Amino acid sequence: MADFKYSNVTREMEVYGYDSVVKSFCRMCHGGCGVLVYVKDGRVKKIAGDPDCPINHGTLCAKGIGSIQLAYHPDRLTHPVRRVGPRGSGKWERISWDEALDTIAERMLRYKDAYGAESVVLGYGTGRDNEAVVYRFANTFGSPNVLTAGHFCYGPRLATTIITCGSNPVVDYENHPKCIMVWGNNLVFSNPDSYKGEPFSAALDEGAKLICVDPRLTRIASRANIWLRLRPATDAALALGMCNVIIREGLYDKEFVENYVHGWGPFVKRVSEWPLDRVEQITWAPKKQIEEAARLFATTKPAAIQWGVGIEIQANLTNNDRSLIALMGITGNLDVPGGQVLFQTPNVRNVGSFGAHGMLSREQFAKRLGGDQFRLAARFGIINPKRVWDAIIEEKPYPVKMLFLISTNPISTRANSAEVFRALEKVDFLAVSDFFITPSAALADIVLPTATWLEMDYIADFWKRHGYILPRRKVIQVGECRSDHEMLNDLAHRVGIGQYWWSDFQQGLDHILEPMGISWKQFKEMDFIRGEVKYRKYRTEGFSTPTRKLELYSTVLEKMAYDPLPQYHEPPGSPYSAPELYKEYPYILVSGRRIPGFFCSEGRQIPCLRELQPDPVVEIHPETAEKSGIKEGDWVIIESPRGKIRHRARLFAGMDPRIVFAQHGWWFPESEDPMRGWRESNVNMLTDNSYENCDPAMGGTAIRTLLCRIYPEVPQGRSDK
Amino acid sequence: MQDLPGGTAREVGQVRKHALVIDHDACWGCRTCEVACAQEYDFKSKFLLVTEEGPSQDNSIHDYTYRVNVCRHCEDPPCVGACPEEAISQRDDGIVVLDADRCTGCRSCIEACPYEVIAFDEEQQVAQKCNLCRHRVDNGLIPACADNVCLAHCIYFGEPADIEATIEGKRKKRQTI
Repeated sequence: MADFKYSNVTREMEVYGYDSVVKSFCRMCHGGCGVLVYVKDGRVKKIAGDPDCPINHGTLCAKGIGSIQLAYHPDRLTHPVRRVGPRGSGKWERISWDEALDTIAERMLRYKDAYGAESVVLGYGTGRDNEAVVYRFANTFGSPNVLTAGHFCYGPRLATTIITCGSNPVVDYENHPKCIMVWGNNLVFSNPDSYKGEPFSAALDEGAKLICVDPRLTRIASRANIWLRLRPATDAALALGMCNVIIREGLYDKEFVENYVHGWGPFVKRVSEWPLDRVEQITWAPKKQIEEAARLFATTKPAAIQWGVGIEIQANLTNNDRSLIALMGITGNLDVPGGQVLFQTPNVRNVGSFGAHGMLSREQFAKRLGGDQFRLAARFGIINPKRVWDAIIEEKPYPVKMLFLISTNPISTRANSAEVFRALEKVDFLAVSDFFITPSAALADIVLPTATWLEMDYIADFWKRHGYILPRRKVIQVGECRSDHEMLNDLAHRVGIGQYWWSDFQQGLDHILEPMGISWKQFKEMDFIRGEVKYRKYRTEGFSTPTRKLELYSTVLEKMAYDPLPQYHEPPGSPYSAPELYKEYPYILVSGRRIPGFFCSEGRQIPCLRELQPDPVVEIHPETAEKSGIKEGDWVIIESPRGKIRHRARLFAGMDPRIVFAQHGWWFPESEDPMRGWRESNVNMLTDNSYENCDPAMGGTAIRTLLCRIYPEVPQGRSDK
Repeated sequence: MQDLPGGTAREVGQVRKHALVIDHDACWGCRTCEVACAQEYDFKSKFLLVTEEGPSQDNSIHDYTYRVNVCRHCEDPPCVGACPEEAISQRDDGIVVLDADRCTGCRSCIEACPYEVIAFDEEQQVAQKCNLCRHRVDNGLIPACADNVCLAHCIYFGEPADIEATIEGKRKKRQTI
């Protein structure tokens, strides 16, 4: 017998008698790993990584494999339904697609007529690669309001990088960075945008040094050469402190700074406000370690920062992002091999053009909710969720009458769930497209059954900034499920905007690909297309910013009347910003550390994933647990001024005893309650969404950290379940 | 596709030794191997469990690791001798096989296993362990957990000595702790 080979497709087909194997791209998180889908008798039998895919090199994650149990889940919605009882009563009747879409279309037109198109808000959550079609629909319909996670997740990274250096600098793992600084990210669990854990691991195997910035010990932190254990949400202070060391010690790239930076003088002045004594006091990270990390990062070439959503779900997110871009830039690591590269997307119709942003009239653009307040967000089509809840509940500044939530469950995932619930309960008409009746869908008038990635043709990742486009191929059909793309294409014709859409969505795919001179049919025969890889483009073209330079001093922010330089601001609800509250709520709660198996509020009903995490877990330092009378495995109450939830306690010594770590996105699909226990363990029952606690430029709600108290649910001596 | 490390030609007739070796330094605890194992068995059982270990109370960070708990197919497996029913045997290629049909559920093997990787199936009242996907191995396929699923590439299948050499090579190259 021949030697054993990894991913031996031929042998696999012979041994198991599969009928076919389809190459496609997963979408169980925010990115597309190459997969091989084995099919027998019309059913998916096995999902494996595609060894030829340059993104994941054949490896996968638990969620990817769990897709089988998602696609064939017995509770999955496989036909449209209409609610027949009161909201949240769990009573539904089956209706046809035609009836569902006609009803939705009739409502949309009715509200547009009576209150303007802006009264109809579309929304998506993590985005199942449907972002561009949702925007296209809203823009062609005339609504400036698309409710997304973009105010505090990935959107800020795009917005801040675009205004500062022209695009999102993605770590060039392929060329093996010699130093990687992982900042607020656990990419080996979460697979964040444009990155996968595999190439990161490979870079470490090639000898990269590792710096980890994280308040909690992760395995990445435990392997790191330096672990900076910062106080949650003090990232900008730490980054500015590191810039201070790098500038003071002359470790920056002088040639780059001289020629390609805008605002060096004012930036140096700003950074001088952040000597390490002050930084240590604020961040709780030891001065000596900060110094060492700054030196290691600045003197090891090439180096890269692997950043994550941890720095964005904060009130100071624009500054956090921009101070990290400054670190990348001044050390000469932007757009160099093995540093962070401004990759170029292949020459297709880009997401902005396909999203039809140019087709929204000026008049409608001006009505974007929060546009006057969160001005950077508005420019990128992003709105702050509270503005939508207010427009529903108080009808200010104008009434929002209809929500169409497409793969999003805001009751579980947006700040201040109680308010989200009130808004969803009150809105005139709520349509949802999802896999299951989630807590948000439970309040809907109509729920549509959407397709998983296994059930659609699409150009995956084309809105990403890692430079690839990937053909996602339809493998199976489940019930009457339809992709959001096809559904919106159909609905467009029913609301009178068919002229901007197609008779069949495949033509939409052709439209995206047209500038490359290929059709979807041809692209489907390919493995992937990668844009041209070019380094140091700034030397010939400059950066794509108003000054053509890296704008450490942002002319865009200046025009919008924001601080043009990165700055640290103490987070709301911290021991220092709210000392009185801190007396009553003496712990810093970090909401939502990443765990394998779940993507935000998804996955709790998938058996092979739920088995990995049966209960919501809060991590408590053993000293804190002792003080609070909490033992390992106890159900405990976490309480903030806004509410209480229950998690199971786990004692964990790898963090400051003043911090506790909860999980986010929890609801209980198995619950008898038609609302699926939406309050019980939902960390957003505790979070705050008030405007003064949002990032002023992006409107990001500060849900990552807040003050809490914690105590056993059952008085000692009594047993729980 | 790449050849397995150490996959060199062997003399005819020489029995190849099969083992699973885990490079625990590299394991991130992502648990993909666990779900890959479950998938191989139609999500009805799995024979592998990843656990988190440490950090110890003194806040020493480097004892914070993950462990892939799965049968090591030991060279001299104590479970084989412990089983009064001869339900566990070791094949010439090293794979330690538990035949559930012969198991009476006495749990002697569970006590004997130094790695605590034999489980008890309460429903069937029998012991359960990884048989190294022998249905795959005998057909020239790599066991499910080791077949290029791990994003850290930390699960190896093959000749233990060859694998150890590969891991040692990686260790020398790594600059992390």
